Amino acid sequence: MIEPRVPVSAHSHRTRFGGEAKVAIAVFACLALFPLFVSGYIVYILPQYMIFGVLAMSLALLWGVTGILSFGQAGFFAIGGYAIGLMTNGSLPFGGLFLGLIAAVLLGYLVAALIGYFLFSAGVRDAYFVLVTLALSIVVEQLSVSQSQLTGGWNGMFIMRPTIDLGFTRIELFADIPVYYVVLAAVALIYAGLYAFTRSRFGKVLTGIRENEMRLVSLGVPAALHKTAAFALSGAVAALAGALYGLHSGFVSPSIGGVLFSTEVVVWVAIAGRSSLIGALLGGIIVSSLSNYLSAITPTYWQLALGLVFILTIAFFRGGVAGTLERFVANRRSAQP
Amino acid sequence: MNQLLSVEKLTKRFEGLVANEDVNFSVAEGEIRSVIGPNGAGKTTFISMISGHLRPTEGRIFFRGTDITALKVQQRARLGIIRKFQTPSVFLGLTARENIELAVIAAGTPRGQRQTRLDEVLDLVRMTAFADREASVLSHGQRQWLEIGLLLGAKAQLLLLDEPTAGMTAEETHATGTLIRDLTQRLRLSAIIIEHDINFIRDLQAPITVLHLGKVFCEGSFEEVSSNAHVRNIYLGNE
Ligand SMILES: Nc1ncnc2c1ncn2[C@@H]1O[C@H](COP(=O)(O)OP(=O)(O)OP(=O)(O)O)[C@@H](O)[C@H]1O
Ligand SMILES: [Mg+2]
Repeated sequence: MIEPRVPVSAHSHRTRFGGEAKVAIAVFACLALFPLFVSGYIVYILPQYMIFGVLAMSLALLWGVTGILSFGQAGFFAIGGYAIGLMTNGSLPFGGLFLGLIAAVLLGYLVAALIGYFLFSAGVRDAYFVLVTLALSIVVEQLSVSQSQLTGGWNGMFIMRPTIDLGFTRIELFADIPVYYVVLAAVALIYAGLYAFTRSRFGKVLTGIRENEMRLVSLGVPAALHKTAAFALSGAVAALAGALYGLHSGFVSPSIGGVLFSTEVVVWVAIAGRSSLIGALLGGIIVSSLSNYLSAITPTYWQLALGLVFILTIAFFRGGVAGTLERFVANRRSAQP
Repeated sequence: MNQLLSVEKLTKRFEGLVANEDVNFSVAEGEIRSVIGPNGAGKTTFISMISGHLRPTEGRIFFRGTDITALKVQQRARLGIIRKFQTPSVFLGLTARENIELAVIAAGTPRGQRQTRLDEVLDLVRMTAFADREASVLSHGQRQWLEIGLLLGAKAQLLLLDEPTAGMTAEETHATGTLIRDLTQRLRLSAIIIEHDINFIRDLQAPITVLHLGKVFCEGSFEEVSSNAHVRNIYLGNE
């Protein structure tokens, strides 16, 4: 057979989620050392951006791995935030921190599974699916406004900082440093779990759906079910991020479920690169913190700049920062003898 | 020989156009069948109805004696009816190995046997040397082989091959013929092969069905069909 003329791994950056483990270890090590050198507000606020990073990963899982875009991530985020609030503020006859986290994750999972099941098994087109996820964000925001006896409406809902009881010791999550490390540990665990997932049999099938869904179905794979499960997992992770956000910031309000916030998540992931989980995590952290910082200084110009960066990314750097870097590394490797 | 697949009075109408009409056809276990006919004769439509990508307007399809007319694409694939598309359809962003791995996963191969199975299939389609190349950098011919590898990895019993040698050099075409005959004999697979390349059809030495305007025009061996003046006329557009 004829030899192909193109270098072997010239395009392999699109292929796998592998090869990012080293980057991830470096990132988490830096984050772990950070509070040793810096203190003050930034140690308080960075965990919030890491949680946004988890939200970004929930989208990368869906968009990057499976090829399905969602404008509903903020909807799930808010579902998680309100669920943990209701379960810990005594407004329900049962509750508690761990039950609350489980409830948040389950709720995100079930809502996504339900939507996914009906849409994917009916074979709706991707564009239509995006519209439905957009509608989900709107519905969640509206519900959190209208159900004010439960949610506090526009006034929002306050959430108590929890104390983790490990039996032998109790970690009181009030001071910044313990909070920082608890959130960092949670984020690292979530990352490791998702990374393992992308490399599992199931993760590979999702990659196949992204690459060529019709081919996969024609080999006997029930793609609709796999897409449903991917969306459900993504919803669960986004809801978990929402619950962590609620606990960390002590407050949730309708705007965290809205279309605007959902769009922001899409922008973080597009700019950072949806092909890599660690890229999405970093995108969530960096773009959202820049966004908050610069929007306070120069609100109008920042929005404009972010919009421009987004358009440039979509037009010229489809893979975002991570994708461009991976391609650069791959080309360097294949250029060496 | 045992009947593997048979179709009865298969008809497909697209609005006004009749793409297949009253087609009766069968293929036995371990048998190869060629289907030829001019452009637009209805060959792809015929295969699509067997694979489940198109619903027949009328008629029924039986596989190992059971009526599968109502089954979906993925259900038929799990039974072993798997097609190769006319335009090669593989997972372009993945390596050849990852491509086959997905097919092996699709067949529900247990984890412990996946690696062995993967190597076996790569070897069967002679792609071991290119296993770590991304499908997007493979030549057109290699992609066709890779796609046949996908069917094998997914445990196809009946290979539906829509123009498997399109875009191949004469050398590759010849090798493909050898490969297909080898596979069907060694693994006792059946195949329905659509082709335009008349040398390839001759070398295959399989019974030929000529489709014309959606109908079975004639059937027979290569010698019978090629000496039929009417067949030559429909290819020249005189009939
Ligand atoms: N989805 C469709 N909708 C409408 N008409 C169709 C559709 N698919 C095929 N046709 C028509 O049905 C007829 C048969 O098409 P088909 O693709 O089966 O031919 P073919 O024998 O495979 O041709 P070729 O050798 O060019 O691949 C053609 O006239 C084609 O235009
Ligand atoms: Mg055709």
